[in-house]
Amino acid sequence: MNEKPVFSHEQLGMKTVTRRQFLKYSGVSAAAATSLLSVDEIASAAITRPLPLGTPILVVVTLYGGNDGLNTVIPYQDPAYYTARPGLTYKPETLLPLSDGMALNASMTGIKSLWDSQKVAIIRGVGYPKPDRSHFSSMAIWQTGSPQNHLNTGWLGRWLDSQPIDPMTAISLGSVLPPLLAGAKQSGSALPLGGLSIPNGQIGKACVRLSVKSQNDNPLMAAAATSMRNLFNLSGSITPVLAQPAPLADDLPTVSGGNAGGDSNLSQQLNLVAKLIAAGSPTKIWSVSLGGFDTHANEANAQATLLGTVSSSITKFLSQMKASGRSKDITVMVYSEFGRRVKGNGSDGTDHGTAGSMFLIGDRVQGGMYGDQPSLTKLIDGDLAVTTDFRDVYSSVIDSVLQTPAEKILNNWSGRVKAFKPV
Amino acid sequence: MDTKRLETARLFHRFAFGPRPGEFAQALSDGVAKTKSKVLSQPLIDAGEVPAPVITDLGPRPAPNSAGVVAFSQSLRFENQQMLLWWLDQMVKSERQLQEKLVWFWHGHWATSIGKVNYSLPMYNQNKTFRKYALGNFSDFAQAMFSDGALQIWLDGGDNNVKAPNENLSREMMELFVLGVNRYTETDVKELARAFTGYQVTRSAGVVTYNEKRRDTKAVTVLGKTGVLSPEQAIAHLVSQPDCGKFIAERIWFRFISSATALPDNHAMISAFNKREVSQLVSTLVNGADLADPNYSIVKQPVEWFVGVCRALSLTPSKLDSYSKLYGYLSKMSQIPFEPPNVGGWPADESWLSSASAQFRVAFATWLVGQADLSSITAIAPAQRSAYLLDLLGVVEWTPRTMFALRDVRDSEVKLLILAICSPEYVVSV
Repeated sequence: MNEKPVFSHEQLGMKTVTRRQFLKYSGVSAAAATSLLSVDEIASAAITRPLPLGTPILVVVTLYGGNDGLNTVIPYQDPAYYTARPGLTYKPETLLPLSDGMALNASMTGIKSLWDSQKVAIIRGVGYPKPDRSHFSSMAIWQTGSPQNHLNTGWLGRWLDSQPIDPMTAISLGSVLPPLLAGAKQSGSALPLGGLSIPNGQIGKACVRLSVKSQNDNPLMAAAATSMRNLFNLSGSITPVLAQPAPLADDLPTVSGGNAGGDSNLSQQLNLVAKLIAAGSPTKIWSVSLGGFDTHANEANAQATLLGTVSSSITKFLSQMKASGRSKDITVMVYSEFGRRVKGNGSDGTDHGTAGSMFLIGDRVQGGMYGDQPSLTKLIDGDLAVTTDFRDVYSSVIDSVLQTPAEKILNNWSGRVKAFKPV
Repeated sequence: MDTKRLETARLFHRFAFGPRPGEFAQALSDGVAKTKSKVLSQPLIDAGEVPAPVITDLGPRPAPNSAGVVAFSQSLRFENQQMLLWWLDQMVKSERQLQEKLVWFWHGHWATSIGKVNYSLPMYNQNKTFRKYALGNFSDFAQAMFSDGALQIWLDGGDNNVKAPNENLSREMMELFVLGVNRYTETDVKELARAFTGYQVTRSAGVVTYNEKRRDTKAVTVLGKTGVLSPEQAIAHLVSQPDCGKFIAERIWFRFISSATALPDNHAMISAFNKREVSQLVSTLVNGADLADPNYSIVKQPVEWFVGVCRALSLTPSKLDSYSKLYGYLSKMSQIPFEPPNVGGWPADESWLSSASAQFRVAFATWLVGQADLSSITAIAPAQRSAYLLDLLGVVEWTPRTMFALRDVRDSEVKLLILAICSPEYVVSV
């Protein structure tokens, strides 16, 4: 920049670390930053502050649409299961037996092998009081972590608020940020599958100017400026990493040239996450998702396909992480906004229900069954009773993975699920 | 802040798709009162109306690998493309901007996606229904929507029968379309589903038919009313609830005034809507004081931003140099008309402001500005250009930050415009 600055750095909102990153990746050197970084620069940009080895990492997998828990973790020895939903049960001999009379959907072979190595905690009957059967309300409840009151922040966004400002701390794959990462002071960043690239040359330089805060900004204008600023920060850090090949998952069998379930959108998301974790990204929370679980019709095949994708994508991801030395640090959490009705409807599908199963997967997890399996005969309005509050699970994740007292984030919630190994 | 500019800018960006060249300056000289009445008076004949696309019933999809399947897929793609371009052109060119803006609003309200419907014809017919009732009577509108093929397909209406009711349509009718969440019980959802049984849809044409055998003919109780209710009677009962008036006012408030602040209790829109006339509700809002309140800013949705740019730069979507590029940019900005993400409709405000959208917006802007005739800017001396852009784009004022950024590129019309339309002042309807 050769003209005289009109504003002070403070007026421009450029401060300390952010400002240094800005200057490094903006302005005249913008073009260089995207295309010409050397490996040494990756070490300093990707990851100017690599996450110390041994720092726990949370990967949240959201299943949109209301995953049918009863066809995921299946009470296959209970005759009531078969009488309630003819047309959408699976043959018992095809299922993958676990313990306690439960079996996994036949498509979830990867997660079954992780279960066999005690790396999978299954929490049954998870929900919240007065279940809401609307996708949007129920997902909002799960993502804000607040069944009673409407909150504008997500449960992980509130955790972010307790952390230093850094757009790298929590990253969601896809271009729209899910509410769970929205905080009051800072929100997570969105990373589209195609990666980020910053505008080059004079436009890039001008965009950097456009991205600084102005005292005249109202909150939404400030958010617009911040989104541009985060683009420059993130792009500088991430772009070189994305150009690297993905880590290999060598201990998995390959099916016609790729891992099973290989090219699903979830798998692509987790592939990027794997690259970035392997490169030492200072990110403690990753959010990925898969939609399509709203199986009002012809459920059995559709859900098996989706669960197969979930299982193979997660299994491949954890395998990819082994070489990075960080596989021990990772905990994967899988949830959906509700389970489905016990009884099938007339279209070989199920309508919106209540309790469902959650999964916690990783080396830090104490494998096994948690939470009581809701009875298939003592139903509440035709739905499963909730036996575990999802805030018990969240609190345990905040305590054990994010290593922060959960009470502040979940309004003094005291319940816990002891699904993590003692440290 | 200059309240006159603020109100004028909001009238253009919220109750229309943004000013065309000259309109903003004209409105400033007309004054706010006259501009409000211009916004509310829709010409009877739309001089900007875009010729309707030809959308036909393509019939059932041929079996995979059969002779007709390639031609079928090509026709389907072609119809989808024609339909999307027609609507985008209509948003840009229509002289009935308020009507057009309400059509866009109702599309997000009765959010139906071609992703599940698959065929263009039912989506096109739904859009025509939005046009018919955009500013009309909501009671008639809700009745028409029950018989809307696309909505019936979208919410599994054809699966809802006496033997096994499917609650998808009944729940959303109450939660998302007419009353709002928690203004009914779970029992109401189940009972209303029974009152909605007996209808089937032919998918390719979206024609809804009645089948007596699938009908639950027993009495139901919905929101305190018991009887053998036809769908018409049940919907009339829902629309007559006070909560319906409140809910539609809330949704209009959310999209036109503020998603961050709740609709104030007893807002004048609610009583103005007591006959369920949308036009009265909207004119009450336009004529009220909310538009002058500087707190109520809102982020333009990507389609609103794109259409606004087209209007300011005299671009026509169907004449842009590549349909696939246009579709690609809209897709990257996560908003393609006819493809809302779910029945809850489009997200709002900060959801559109990710680092990803910032990146795609600059690329989209670069592509659009490259196709525009910028001679009107060339004619302005560089030092005057940022002031000229304020009125061209309908921006209230530039912050010192943006002035600084614009000043640096003022010698290049292209760069100047790219920056201006990507500025927080333009991305947000302040």
